Amino acid sequence: MKLYDYILSPSCYKVRLLASLIGAKLDLQSVDFHPGQEHKGDALLTLNPAGAIPILEDGAFVLTESSAMLAYLAATTAPEWEGRETPDMSAKVQQWLAFSHRLTASLGGARLVEMLHGNGDLDALQGAGIAALRELEAALFEQRLAGQSFLVGEQPTIADIACFPYVALAPDGSITLDPYPSIRLWMRAIRSLPGFIEMPGIHRLHDLVPDPQSSKEDH
Amino acid sequence: MTDTAMKDAWYPVGLCSDLSADGRKTRLMGEPITVKTGPVGAPEVLNADNEPLPVIIRFGHVWTSLGAPQTDLFTIPEADQPSRKLVDVGVVRVKCSPLRAVENFLDIAHFPFVHTDILGAEPHTEVEDYKVEIRDEEDEVWATKVKFFQPQAAKSAEGGITTEYMYRVPAPTCSVLYKTCPPRPGEWDVICLFVQPLTEDLCDVWPWMALYDEDNTMTELIHFQQMIFLQDRSILENQIPTRLPLDPGMEMPTRADMTSVAYRRWLKRHNYTYGAQLVAK
Amino acid sequence: MTHTLSLPWTPVALSSDVPPGTVIPAKLSSGPIAVWRTQSGHLSANGDRCPHRGMRLSHGFVRGETLSCIYHGWRFADDGSCTHIPAHPNLTPPSAIKCNPRQAKESGGVIWVADELPDEEPVFFEGYKPLRSLVVAADETSVREATQATDVDSGLAVNHAGTDIRLLVSDLDGEQVFVILLLAENTSPEACVSASRWAEVMRQKAERICNHGETT
Repeated sequence: MKLYDYILSPSCYKVRLLASLIGAKLDLQSVDFHPGQEHKGDALLTLNPAGAIPILEDGAFVLTESSAMLAYLAATTAPEWEGRETPDMSAKVQQWLAFSHRLTASLGGARLVEMLHGNGDLDALQGAGIAALRELEAALFEQRLAGQSFLVGEQPTIADIACFPYVALAPDGSITLDPYPSIRLWMRAIRSLPGFIEMPGIHRLHDLVPDPQSSKEDH
Repeated sequence: MTDTAMKDAWYPVGLCSDLSADGRKTRLMGEPITVKTGPVGAPEVLNADNEPLPVIIRFGHVWTSLGAPQTDLFTIPEADQPSRKLVDVGVVRVKCSPLRAVENFLDIAHFPFVHTDILGAEPHTEVEDYKVEIRDEEDEVWATKVKFFQPQAAKSAEGGITTEYMYRVPAPTCSVLYKTCPPRPGEWDVICLFVQPLTEDLCDVWPWMALYDEDNTMTELIHFQQMIFLQDRSILENQIPTRLPLDPGMEMPTRADMTSVAYRRWLKRHNYTYGAQLVAK
Repeated sequence: MTHTLSLPWTPVALSSDVPPGTVIPAKLSSGPIAVWRTQSGHLSANGDRCPHRGMRLSHGFVRGETLSCIYHGWRFADDGSCTHIPAHPNLTPPSAIKCNPRQAKESGGVIWVADELPDEEPVFFEGYKPLRSLVVAADETSVREATQATDVDSGLAVNHAGTDIRLLVSDLDGEQVFVILLLAENTSPEACVSASRWAEVMRQKAERICNHGETT
């Protein structure tokens, strides 16, 4: 499988992250999104007329939306990440996949304005982003009450991966994550998963590895 | 006006490869400016009153000044060597002081924690003593014999190596890094951080590189440098205070910070204080 | 009456929101703080600024019994003293290097912080446990109006659908308030969910009142 990828794109990162978590192999093809605008060039427009990345190619099969790529990766490699054990879970996964597009539009839009000279009404984007974060916080709080760490149950699903990147990078668009304790714990749970990889703007959880200083003292 | 010294300096305001006749509106030290292709095809920078500002084209960027620059923009002779790849990395906006952005670029001790497994990794955190000087003739800050262990020093590096660096500050918001070049021992890769001060707390950062690299595509090189800088961005936007404190009591340096100490001293000496905090608050 | 704003201790988080080995950002009237819990469960708070380069310590990480700055890994003990500088692993950090420690205390499932150790204990709502916290972009008067709450002890009281709710309200920065919801200890899980959803609606209402000057 080949992913047309941009290191700073949270949507591309979703696909890289899930692939890493489930051990799926991806060939990465770097796209000069900025400053080169390669995604608006002829070659990539033939793959995705919308002029957007990521694009996933599996032989002749081409996908253009990150949520679809997550579903495809999970279905082909790790069905437990699909979250389809019950009708309720299936429906909730769909709900959060749809919700993730609101995060892209709001938090992602603010990030483009604040970081990469994008256009947009920053106040409106931030306002919509905060509304979405509050909804997510409330939902994750209810999950905690039910003893569940992730959006759709005790185990992570593609719903978590679809929502995580733009939330974690909200500060890039000058939207603070300080007021959301349940989001903080949820992000920590995702960042602690075996196989988790970072993207720029999301730092390593250094506390997950033992302190090299004390191990030196022990030996 | 205390910022006269910095008004006379040169600043990057755009990529030569990304100019249009319509122009791009931006800011320089609070002043609105327009960067565009002029009537005869040459790059042009206009102030708010549509008056032309001085222009230099160098290192793939358009440079201008709000004042009357007394000196030419610095040069990087190594960058002119043939067969180097000249990499326009693009622009990233950061809500921080332009001086904080440069100071971070001069710092190696953060590599294991901020650029983990790329430019540094625990337990290789020690910064050995290196040499720092303010070269009076060139009027530049230089740090040499800087050595650090890096897991993946550059896109072209395989596995961990001890990398040697030289840092140079030739202008208040610009820094040039010379770094061991894995495919060509004896040569230095050139990595630059050019900072456009939009205000004292906001800047556009234009990284630029002149590398010997035959293995990677231009896009891969751009992505590597964008990744590194974006890892720094979340640090730069969370330093308190936002402006660089020149009061020595405000922040506590160690021997590893000798470059930063010299940079702050040099800024103070020249009254380069746009983006600085002079008194402890 | 806004007596909640003048308590000697400021409520900054729920105990359950800061599990062992984590750090969170919070605010006192004197400025931002980092609140952290060691692996062994000890709670600390200090000014949210590393004395080295001013980086916010709440972005850092907790290993064992110390808090490390994310920027250069400088390590601090619960008394604010610097115990390790990774760039100079063999150096004993000078005692002058400190990240301003604050007083932190847990009472009734709430984390309370003060600049200096107050004479009094934090307030305690006998028979209540905290549910969750919310930041409301409104003033306390608007929260009061939206919830139609009445004053009790050091907080507000309201009954929603038969559930007794206490609100602990404190000012964050003049434009926002920090609210902790407390419910009676025997409240059912369903009523907890219902109270949380009520709080979301009340927040929107309070913000509308505050923004548009709506009064009841």
